[in-house]
Amino acid sequence: MGHVLDALRAMGTTLVTAFRKPTTVEFPKVVRPRAERYRASFALPDDEHGELACIGCLACERICPSYVIKMKPTGKIESPVTGKKRQYVDAFVLDLSACIGCELCIQVCNSDAIRMTREPEVPGFSREDLVLDLERLRANAREKTMSWGKGSELQERQEPPKAEKKPKPEVAPVAVPVAGEAR
Amino acid sequence: MNALAHGAAYGAVIATVLLAMVALAIWFERKLAGRMQSRLGPTMVGPVGLLQPIADVLKLLQKEDIVPADADRGLFNVAPVLAVLVSLGAAAVVPFAPSTIAADLDVGVLYVLAIGGLMVIPTFAAGWASNNKFALLGGMRAVAQSVSYGVPLVLATLVPVILAGTMSLSGIVAWQSQHHWFAVWPVLPGLPAFFVFFLALLAESNRIPFDIPEAESELVAGVTTEYTGAKFTLFYMAEYLHTLVGSAVAAALFFGGWDGPFAPGLFWMVGKTLALFASVYWVRWSLLRFRADQLMELCWKRLTPLSVALVLLAAAWVQFVPGGGK
Repeated sequence: MGHVLDALRAMGTTLVTAFRKPTTVEFPKVVRPRAERYRASFALPDDEHGELACIGCLACERICPSYVIKMKPTGKIESPVTGKKRQYVDAFVLDLSACIGCELCIQVCNSDAIRMTREPEVPGFSREDLVLDLERLRANAREKTMSWGKGSELQERQEPPKAEKKPKPEVAPVAVPVAGEAR
Repeated sequence: MNALAHGAAYGAVIATVLLAMVALAIWFERKLAGRMQSRLGPTMVGPVGLLQPIADVLKLLQKEDIVPADADRGLFNVAPVLAVLVSLGAAAVVPFAPSTIAADLDVGVLYVLAIGGLMVIPTFAAGWASNNKFALLGGMRAVAQSVSYGVPLVLATLVPVILAGTMSLSGIVAWQSQHHWFAVWPVLPGLPAFFVFFLALLAESNRIPFDIPEAESELVAGVTTEYTGAKFTLFYMAEYLHTLVGSAVAAALFFGGWDGPFAPGLFWMVGKTLALFASVYWVRWSLLRFRADQLMELCWKRLTPLSVALVLLAAAWVQFVPGGGK
């Protein structure tokens, strides 16, 4: 008799569920709100003078655990905008197909020159579609919504608590990544 | 000759309607299964996914037609066609409305039981001809199951036959429309007899919870393991046809067939058939599969004695209750 009751209970459960609202979210039609820290693709934004913020310091290329960033620094040249000497990048390639989304490149960037975007998804029809070059990265910076983190903010959050006695310098000395460390 | 023409015309109509209903039923089942699992079911093909069965069939027809090298070719090819024919054949004597019936046999009930019992032959033929151990095991299980559950099925069917005093399906329905549905009164042989019939029907058509002949987790796909493309589609269709026709027979035997107020008979018959069909799938998506020995125990130790008792009760009702035979 117990088996029969169990069977009836099972059928009751399915009957009740059948008249409930399904929990399915029809993804392409309905997109659930993304989390504030959601991140997908990358962007190379401009600085406050309207030129590329990236100074080609290789910090992100070196820290990247899956080696997906490759760049070619120009060496120091005079900025056409500010007239000061600074470095640019000739080429910057980021291969999303192997990127693990760890955000380390954002964290090490001292110039806030690489950001992640908050766009929902970044599919492509071929592997080449997932390779972001300088042009596409700059276009992302213009068109896409940025995710929450910037290099400077993230570094500040992760700094160890400072000793009280020392007089603080005006600008905190930024940690320069050591070349070839832990590779 | 006249009867032959009548049968052919009605047969063509009913077969077409039934096949269209199968397409609808596949959609209906998937929707129902989805809702029972808090999903949506098919939504993409056509409005609310209505064209999904057509898309499924088109997909299946595109698949390569494979016959295993060591298979018994003739039997292998005939089995799926036979499965559909047998399932459709049972529909011949099902009365859809007072005069809408392909062949109003005096022994309609016997015919339905005989044709329904034949279903095991294409199933076992497929299992044997595939020359595949999973398919053969599935076929053997199907035989064991069908032979066992044939007994309570026949005995449960005898209850309305005894109560109505006729073996013609349309006669039984007519009796019920004049008096009362057998599932309602007399309750004691009627309602339990319906449940026995329903369980035996599930077992005969190899539906969950009695689907051990094609138990996916044990036998890959049972008898259909080696089938692809169009032939698999036929088996798939036969499965739904069998359930659909079985539901129609159950509606005619126990729920008064076309009998109902306000609407034409066809509406009631189709409505009752679909309600029973839905409950087959309600069971399917609620319960787990029986083990082979539990299946046999349920059949021989519970259902068979119960159905014998029900037949005796029905006979006693007709014999001793005043007006029972009317």
